[in-house]
Amino acid sequence: MIVFTIILILLAILGAPLFAIIATSAMLGFSSIDEPLMNVAIELMRMVDLQFLSAIPLFTFAGYLLSESNAPQRLVRMTQAVLGWMPGGLALVCLVVCAFFTAFTGASGVTIIALGAILYPALQQDGYNDKFNLGLVTTSGSLGLLFAPSLPLILYGVVAEVSIDDLFKAGLIPGFLMIGMLSAWCIWVSRKNTRELRKFSWSELVSAVRESIWEIPLPFVVLGSVYSGFLAVSEAAAITVVYVFIVEVLILREIKFKDLPRVVRESMLLVGGILIILGLSLASTSYTILAGVPATLFEYLSEFVSSQTTFLILLLLFLLLLGAILDIFSAIVLVVPLLLPVAALYDVNTIHLGIVFLAAMQLGYMTPPVGLNLFIASYRFEKPIMQVYSATLPFLLILMLSVILITFWPSLSLWLLR
Amino acid sequence: MARLIAFFGKLDKAGRIAENVALMIVLAGMVIVAFTQIIAREVFDTGVIWANELIRLMVLWLAMVGAVAACRDNRHIRIDLLSHLLPEKAVTAIRIFVDLFAAVVCAVVASLVWEFIKLEVELEFTVLGDLPVFPAHVIVPLAFALLSYRFGVLVIKQTLELFMKPEEEAAS
Repeated sequence: MIVFTIILILLAILGAPLFAIIATSAMLGFSSIDEPLMNVAIELMRMVDLQFLSAIPLFTFAGYLLSESNAPQRLVRMTQAVLGWMPGGLALVCLVVCAFFTAFTGASGVTIIALGAILYPALQQDGYNDKFNLGLVTTSGSLGLLFAPSLPLILYGVVAEVSIDDLFKAGLIPGFLMIGMLSAWCIWVSRKNTRELRKFSWSELVSAVRESIWEIPLPFVVLGSVYSGFLAVSEAAAITVVYVFIVEVLILREIKFKDLPRVVRESMLLVGGILIILGLSLASTSYTILAGVPATLFEYLSEFVSSQTTFLILLLLFLLLLGAILDIFSAIVLVVPLLLPVAALYDVNTIHLGIVFLAAMQLGYMTPPVGLNLFIASYRFEKPIMQVYSATLPFLLILMLSVILITFWPSLSLWLLR
Repeated sequence: MARLIAFFGKLDKAGRIAENVALMIVLAGMVIVAFTQIIAREVFDTGVIWANELIRLMVLWLAMVGAVAACRDNRHIRIDLLSHLLPEKAVTAIRIFVDLFAAVVCAVVASLVWEFIKLEVELEFTVLGDLPVFPAHVIVPLAFALLSYRFGVLVIKQTLELFMKPEEEAAS
């Protein structure tokens, strides 16, 4: 069995599709405990029983529609009208806009591609240091992960079988903490920016608001219905698609009907890639539970980890390592089921665990050597990867600090749930 | 040979269109069902019992067709470490090997799910009230069979790439 495991890990590192690795591990697992292989099929078909799963394709499609329209430009303009007059104003605009956008598009790297092209040159023009800009844009690309309705939050809710509404509430303060700490850093860095500050202008704000009048209700429609508990998350997702479709395709007509097949395909490629991993991980998880892996893991851990604090420290180290090699979606479906029972024994709240998990995995997007955002930024802005590494480093350290705070201060996540 | 390539080119185009059409129909259907369900409940205080189940079946379809489409565009989630470290040729060689592995795994999963669905049909399982289960679930073994085929195609394509490229470059 150990030989097979090593071979599988090798295959994964060589770049075999992850769903195939997971399927194989499930089949090997079941056969090792003399269970029929048919279990893989049974568990895979259990996908049909998962609640709220439709939120994933729906929100993904809505996010892709938004990113294909001119909504990103309008969003930048409006945020700039609100925040642009402050020292470091444009940097703050970048953080806020990216966070908002990532929440809606599911942290798949779309943010850097859709917004980076607007923000990066704008930052340069405003006299910010080039290295700072590169780091800022790369970091911002995964910033909104903790805000509703981000895909990783929904996926965690589905896998851990906890209330997605609660997760949405729990992510708010930690998410704002991240933005706040990064903002403070940006203001500090740009204190030396000698360029004259922009003046706040009511007329610009009014015209920016008028331009985005159709998109402004969107967050209220989505977040309002979800946070108030009026609609289930999958229903809010359906409403979002209908709303975004009417606005961007029928009213503003920024997406032509002939573009729709491409947008549908692009978004559903991502959905298919995530959900096939989810489906097969149901099988591999069922094996690990049958084989008593969580119990063994806990037994082993309990020999040298006695307190919750030590457990959390180990967890954090593990997640940082995991995030550097595995994408967030695979990490959630593979690791969360194993982690849940163990964390429960250390008295870690499931919702808090989810926020810690996602916050730590967010760092994975920009941890060298293989963080996804690093490559996207390197490719998008045509910079050598080493330069992206070093530009991102200060931001990475600040975010790491925020993740430590989020981990050891559970009230940050749980306060809004009381 | 040229004819064969033209044939496969046409096949690829047809497959791509079929995927897009399927994805659009299912996604649109899902939005319509989910939306009318909310309106029906909030405005008319009624609803259809099986709507929720239908939506979940549609998610299954989207997932499966999406997975096949992702394979055509070579966009399945992988740990993408080596492509940044090794020269292009070495990466292609390794890809041939791991994609062959994926093709075999998909074939095995397809046959397992096929067996399971035969069992479901034998036991006269139903979906959406009393409809037969087969048409609703058959997408899963079908998708895995197609995935196996697509990974096979990827293997052949990349093998050709590996051995043909120098000649083509010399020719062009």
